Amino acid sequence: MTLTPEWYLLLAAALFTIGAVGVLIRRNAIVLFMCVELMLNAANLALVTFSRINGTLDGQIIAFFVMVVAAAEVVVGLAIIMSIFRTRRSASVDDSNLLKY
Amino acid sequence: MEHTVQFAPATGLLSGMWLLVALPAVSAAVLLLLGRRADRWGHWLGCLSVGAAFVLGLLSFFALRGQENRAVQLNLWEFISAGSFRVDFGLLFDPLSAVFVLLITGVGFLIHVYAVGYMEHDEGRRRFFGYFNLFVAAMLVLVLGNNYVMTFLGWEGVGLASYLLISFWYVRPSAATAGKKAFLMNRVGDAAFVIAIFLLFAQLGTVNFDGVANQVHTLSSGVTLMLGLLLLLGATGKSGQFPLTAWLPDAMEGPTPVSALIHAATMVTGGVYLIARSNFIFTANSTLQLVVVSVGALTLLIGAIIGCAKDDIKRVLAWSTVSQIGYMFLGVGLGGAAYALAIVHLLAHGFFKAGLFLGAGSVMHGMRDQVDIRRFGGLWKYMKITWVTFGLAWLAIIGLPPLSGFFSKEPIIVAAFERKDWTAWLFGIAALLGAGLTAFYMTRLFMLTFHGPKRWTDDIEHPHESPPIMTIPLVLLAVGSVAAGGLMVGPVPKWLTPVLGHEVRGEAVLAHSAITILAIAVTLIGAGLAYLLFRDGTATAPQPAGALVTAARKNLYIDAFNEAVFEKPGIFLTRALVFLDGKGIDGAVNGIAASVGGGSGRLRRLQTGFVRSYAMSMLTGALLVVAAFLAVQYGWFA
Amino acid sequence: MNDLKLPAIDYAALAPMLILFGVACLGVLVEAAVPRARRGLVQVPLGLLGLVAALVFVIAEAGTRKRTAGEAIAIDGPALFLQGAIIVLGVVALLLIAERSLEPGGPFVAQPARPVGSEADRSQAAGEGGATEAYPLVMFALAGMLLFVAANDLLTMFVALEVFSLPLYLLCALARRRRLLSQEAALKYFLLGAYASAFFLFGIALIYGYAGAITFSRIHQAVTAGTGSGVLLFAGLALLAIGLLFKAAAAPFHVWTPDVYQGAPTPITSLMAACTKTAAFGALLRVLYVGFPGATWDFRPIIGVIAILTMLVGAVLAVTQTDMKRLLAYSSIANAGYLLVGVLAMTPEGVSSTLFYLVAYGFTVIAAFAVVTLVRDADGEATHLSRWAGLGRRSPLFAGVFTFLLLAFAGIPLTSGFTSKFAVFGAAFGGGQVWLVVAGVVTSMLLAFPYLRVVVMMWLSEPGESTPSVSVPGAFTSAALVIGVLVTLLLGVLPGPLLDLTTRAGDFVR
Repeated sequence: MTLTPEWYLLLAAALFTIGAVGVLIRRNAIVLFMCVELMLNAANLALVTFSRINGTLDGQIIAFFVMVVAAAEVVVGLAIIMSIFRTRRSASVDDSNLLKY
Repeated sequence: MEHTVQFAPATGLLSGMWLLVALPAVSAAVLLLLGRRADRWGHWLGCLSVGAAFVLGLLSFFALRGQENRAVQLNLWEFISAGSFRVDFGLLFDPLSAVFVLLITGVGFLIHVYAVGYMEHDEGRRRFFGYFNLFVAAMLVLVLGNNYVMTFLGWEGVGLASYLLISFWYVRPSAATAGKKAFLMNRVGDAAFVIAIFLLFAQLGTVNFDGVANQVHTLSSGVTLMLGLLLLLGATGKSGQFPLTAWLPDAMEGPTPVSALIHAATMVTGGVYLIARSNFIFTANSTLQLVVVSVGALTLLIGAIIGCAKDDIKRVLAWSTVSQIGYMFLGVGLGGAAYALAIVHLLAHGFFKAGLFLGAGSVMHGMRDQVDIRRFGGLWKYMKITWVTFGLAWLAIIGLPPLSGFFSKEPIIVAAFERKDWTAWLFGIAALLGAGLTAFYMTRLFMLTFHGPKRWTDDIEHPHESPPIMTIPLVLLAVGSVAAGGLMVGPVPKWLTPVLGHEVRGEAVLAHSAITILAIAVTLIGAGLAYLLFRDGTATAPQPAGALVTAARKNLYIDAFNEAVFEKPGIFLTRALVFLDGKGIDGAVNGIAASVGGGSGRLRRLQTGFVRSYAMSMLTGALLVVAAFLAVQYGWFA
Repeated sequence: MNDLKLPAIDYAALAPMLILFGVACLGVLVEAAVPRARRGLVQVPLGLLGLVAALVFVIAEAGTRKRTAGEAIAIDGPALFLQGAIIVLGVVALLLIAERSLEPGGPFVAQPARPVGSEADRSQAAGEGGATEAYPLVMFALAGMLLFVAANDLLTMFVALEVFSLPLYLLCALARRRRLLSQEAALKYFLLGAYASAFFLFGIALIYGYAGAITFSRIHQAVTAGTGSGVLLFAGLALLAIGLLFKAAAAPFHVWTPDVYQGAPTPITSLMAACTKTAAFGALLRVLYVGFPGATWDFRPIIGVIAILTMLVGAVLAVTQTDMKRLLAYSSIANAGYLLVGVLAMTPEGVSSTLFYLVAYGFTVIAAFAVVTLVRDADGEATHLSRWAGLGRRSPLFAGVFTFLLLAFAGIPLTSGFTSKFAVFGAAFGGGQVWLVVAGVVTSMLLAFPYLRVVVMMWLSEPGESTPSVSVPGAFTSAALVIGVLVTLLLGVLPGPLLDLTTRAGDFVR
């Protein structure tokens, strides 16, 4: 069995799904956030794979940009999670449940 | 059309014709806005503004006589504009509007002066003059407008002023009710008028008189019939003609000068004006003319019959007005030369009916506001001027030569006999009969009021003549009653030719002289009969009477008919609609509101506040959207 | 080795964005260098000047139709109009953000963990100058939005999306009062926003896989040519749309909106409701009209269903809301539905009516939130609806202004709400989308109910002891309020000039 690019796409889809479902089933804000990062990286994998399939470099360049954006997102996300942890002493997203209905 | 109608732009003095409307309008605004501060001089301002308008009207009249094209218009500003629909605030001064302007401002001025005396002891005199000026302004808009929308504007304005003045003594329940009745019955006619305007615009794309006149020949006869009937219904509403008669006699609840100016001389002739102004529409359809003639003939008889049975001096005069306007409708319905005759009668009627009403007011003034002619009698000794002027107006209205009624009414009777077929007999005899009845009830009124034994109520000791400010207008109007008809019957139709077309006379079924003799004969018979019956006065209490008299006392059951046919079903329909609205529509609305509220209350529970459930709904949504896209792509739904 | 060919860059066309980014960076330096007490005095004029300068460049570029920086940026009618709109709305929102007179210390806090009443908080209230970190963040967000509406390829769009989203997440957390709500709002907004951008990014990957390129013109060529895998195209388009509809607050991707609008500091809520919505719809217009018009028949029914769902959810849920800010949030969701109706016309009128609607709605909603900032008691803003009962007696002027704004939301004639709804419905009707118009009219009627309920409450109830007072607004809030109300009235009475402008600006460059 040879590894065709399609296999990488399937892997990317699987990672994306794991991330998307992970957001739903985990409680810790940090883990949720890691699941989102997993989804971003699944997209990166798909981009690089398509870059290979299409024979253009665009996809790889996009992947670099995405990494930078993801890093910035991490900074902002951790800042918010940290501050909420300081006031609530809890990183569970289910505890933040004042705004509803 | 053999000739196209074209209006010349206003120049010189005539370009100031907007002042005709502006003078009384500004005066009304001042009187109504300044409030009590204007109490001391307000009535003089009211008279002055109408007097000034009369002078301006006279000057404009002479200026118009010097014009080549005797139809001058002045577009002041764009009034309404929507898409291809455009209405200017435009005025038209032509022979027809000129005579109306002179009547309204001239007679109006005299009645204003009279009212200064009549309303002297009334606290609301300033308010009265404010409304009165408002009426004059609106009436001038009505007759000066150069398109149907302007006419309608004035039409509604006089309706408003009429409503305000009928219920001027609004603390009296009868006055308030009469005001409402007038208002509501007028709405029926007004609605028809509005629909007619819509129809005109839909069919011709214009509502200007010149535009309609030039294009009316392109309309099918069905459309002109519809148009004419709608305009006629509007006219009957304003003029108190059958079937919208009943409000006019009740309108006598207003102060007597109001009855004289609005409900005798000017406003109620608005319907005649409308038909005369729309002569191009009515001439275009002979069925339409027959309907107008029938309305006129029927109303003149109804008014005359009921007039014979009434004991309230103002009501008798009111029914007499209904009857006389019936003659005018007969005239405009006959068409051709009779258009101008109707206008002549309208002008003459303006004089003698105003004189009669003001005379009645003078009598009431001296008799502590009594109106029951059974409780008058022998007044000629106490109020000589009123007696003489009232007498002259009486002789004028019954059509005795050489007073004005003869010259204005007799030609209409002749014209009725000039119809082409057997209807000549029908309408001719109706007109003759009406003349006889008119002579009867007016003589009865005159005899019972001024002659015969005193039948006064106990509280009256010394009836007195009215002050000069009231008697001078009476004298002037009496002069008009005597002379107007004879002077006008020749020149006025000639003057009106540009508007109403050339005189075409038919062949009468009877010789002209025979008709004249007959007319004078029935008049003498009617008057003589009344003299014989009432020279010795009458019982002061109602007497049992035959079916016809009872019916006439009850307004020929017109009110009862209205109540049974319109009011009762109307009330029932209203209640049914209220019920439907309450249970059906409101029920449905409330039901929907309740279910939305309930649904909302349940749905908002989905907003749990847990971020993971939000993510869940987003993921579900995303899956559904992706699935839907793919489904559309692969035609899974198709 | 090949020579590296640098793409030509038209700096004048990019100037508005460059200026705002520069101002934002300067703002960061100001935070570092200027003493806290004087930062506000520097930051507010700096921000306003930057916005005005950017607006000048936008106006100077009027009529330009070009792509620059390779093909990454498109400067055309819609881009310039939207940039101008975002800048003007941003100025008004910035006025609200800069208001310091309503409560000592201002509505923001520098460190979200600093509790109310602590030593540091008291010193802020005592006039230490207040937290000014909000200004550079706002400038970054506005700059990102300008880039977002001008982005001509998917990568630029993604980067711009993140550039304006990240500051907004932070801004949501900065409320000084009701700290827990504010932080919760920020957390929810951030997690869901990141989640949505992950979908958006995966959509980019799929579209890249389909078209082999990410510029809209190449994507358009690929779609019209019809080569390639339909699965990639439609799954990709769906995921892209989800990312944008999230920002636009369309159902079922609206779930964050009520919570975030309620929890965020009110001036920031007004910024999100006006500017973020404008940016999101600007980008959505460009994606659908420039990149995927070839797939109109495929996406229109689906996004149409989303539009109807959005209008329904917004209208129905607004009925039972008890908090003023949540009520306005659901109203904003419903308005997203009406905007989608305009977008889905897929005609030039669709573009121009949507542009008009965005401006009209933006001004009205900022003015409405400005009134919300004024109704307060000792604990800050009194947003619970029951507290608004009888406000008409207590303060007829502000209750009157708010009534006018609510009537505008309800689409009563002589307000911009009527003209803008009329415009989008007219455009959708012209585009053959009668079903959307019917749904729009029906939900408009439903939506009138919650607005009128507030009106009735304000005017027909007696003020109770708990009815808060209406604070006298400071100069900034007054200015924002007056501008918002005047524009709402003006666009209702005289919509002609702006309609002409949107009609002329409605042409995308491809």
